[in-house]
Amino acid sequence: MIEVHELSKTYGGSQWAVRDVSFSVARGEVVGFLGPNGAGKSTTLRIVAGFLGATSGRVRVAGHDIVEQPMKARAAMGYMPEAVPLYPELRVEEYLRYRAELKGVARSARRSAVGRAMELARVADHASYPIGHLSKGYRQRVGLADALVASPPILILDEPTAGLDPNQIREVRDLVRELGRDHAVLLSTHILPEVEASCDRAVVIAKGRLVASGKLDELSRLRRARALRVVVDAPSLDAARALLAGLGDVGEVRREGDALTVTWKASVDDTAAAVEPLARALVAAGIGLREVSPVRASLEEVFVELTRGAAAGAPDAEATP
Amino acid sequence: MRGFLAVFKRELLSLFVTPTAWALIVVFLLVSGFHFYALVVHFATNADLSVDHGPVQAFFGESILFYLPLVLLCPGMTMRLFAEERRSGTIETLLTAPVSTSAVVLGKYAAALVTYVAMWAPTILYVVVLRRAGEVDWHVVGTSYLGVVLIGAGYLAIGTLMSAMTSSQLVAIVLSSLVILSLFVMGVGEFIFDEGLAHDLAAHVSVWSQMGELSKGIVDLRRVVFDLTLVVAPLFVTVRAVDAWRWG
Repeated sequence: MIEVHELSKTYGGSQWAVRDVSFSVARGEVVGFLGPNGAGKSTTLRIVAGFLGATSGRVRVAGHDIVEQPMKARAAMGYMPEAVPLYPELRVEEYLRYRAELKGVARSARRSAVGRAMELARVADHASYPIGHLSKGYRQRVGLADALVASPPILILDEPTAGLDPNQIREVRDLVRELGRDHAVLLSTHILPEVEASCDRAVVIAKGRLVASGKLDELSRLRRARALRVVVDAPSLDAARALLAGLGDVGEVRREGDALTVTWKASVDDTAAAVEPLARALVAAGIGLREVSPVRASLEEVFVELTRGAAAGAPDAEATP
Repeated sequence: MRGFLAVFKRELLSLFVTPTAWALIVVFLLVSGFHFYALVVHFATNADLSVDHGPVQAFFGESILFYLPLVLLCPGMTMRLFAEERRSGTIETLLTAPVSTSAVVLGKYAAALVTYVAMWAPTILYVVVLRRAGEVDWHVVGTSYLGVVLIGAGYLAIGTLMSAMTSSQLVAIVLSSLVILSLFVMGVGEFIFDEGLAHDLAAHVSVWSQMGELSKGIVDLRRVVFDLTLVVAPLFVTVRAVDAWRWG
């Protein structure tokens, strides 16, 4: 449904906001567009949505080129921009009715389309509130309702859960999953668990370049724990430290406050398997074990790994200054 | 032209649910009401026997109180059209909807024009008041209002363009007032230059003598064409400017 081919964008000058990015999204698929802040996520989504023009490259949406057939391409998309810009002076229902008309929903179908979108995005109870009086969470949902109002087959959501509380985040994730069954959904985020929670596939970009793209398991593998956090009762901390350091594969044991962080000499694929011998050794030595938990790689570490991998795969003179 | 009606309605709604339109209309009616009162007092106390000169002619275009509101209020009506959408970012949702740029520009412009007409509408009461005291030539009243709409249409188009040039409403209102004022001052050149090109040019763009003619019932096609140019050219550039943002 969405095909992006060697997309590049520069805002004048030599700085590339996006460089040679290609990916695609099929119907029935939720693709997470992942990257740190300033990686070029919003720029890419804006180009796909038809708000910005690309410097080079092609974007096809539902089979229509975004430059050659902009009306057809835009009509197939529901786009929610990052900051969710709305007209504060309008009421929620007024706004959605306007958006429905703007997107060409027939007059007779408008009322039900607005009602359906408000139900889906859970803003129906605030239909007659002026948008300016709504909380951030509600504004976000009004933006979502706007994207849904014309029932487009393609949804492009720029950071749909930014600024929401945990309950609302879960609701939005559930909704995205549900919509993903019969829509093509492209959503951007800089939060890794977000992608794991709601996407089938991830496209990762950093500094405007595509660094990884694939099924989520590959990404999860990178995020798999490579260290353990061990908490023991305070008096035996030093004893435990010496004991752990003596274990076969253990590389380093660091003390961080009341806890010990254990890393391995070689990278282990599954730290879960390593927990057992470690725990047994501690218990056998009579040390009071309180907690063993995996330390997951942070997003930054995953990005570092991915970026490094990409650079190694395709040697590039101008990778990073 | 898909989206014209939706944009037009939304723009009107926004103009009238916020204080902008009401504030402008109130200011205008205060000024024009005072203007009319002053004229009526003047004509009641000074007998003016010339055939083609009465309160209607005086009201439409013989004092600065007619032009000042035009120069200051038209930019006020158009300043937010695009500048506000750009500042708040709503331009992004607007331009990613399946609507043509010209529909967006025309929809917004039409909303400003309707507000402008609504602002002038109550002044018809003044003519009705005059009618009670004496004869009123409705043809002359008609051409006078034609002038009001033609000139306003041009000024609003200029304001629309200036609003599309910036994301600050303040800059938009200052720029458009400046352009409109320059245009007005250029017209005044008619009374400064004696002969030659400068005089002709100034006379051609002179709003002052245009209103003078129209308030006497004279419709000059050249002036109408000039006014329409002043509508079409800025709007055309506005469409181009809005499209250009995509490639910025």
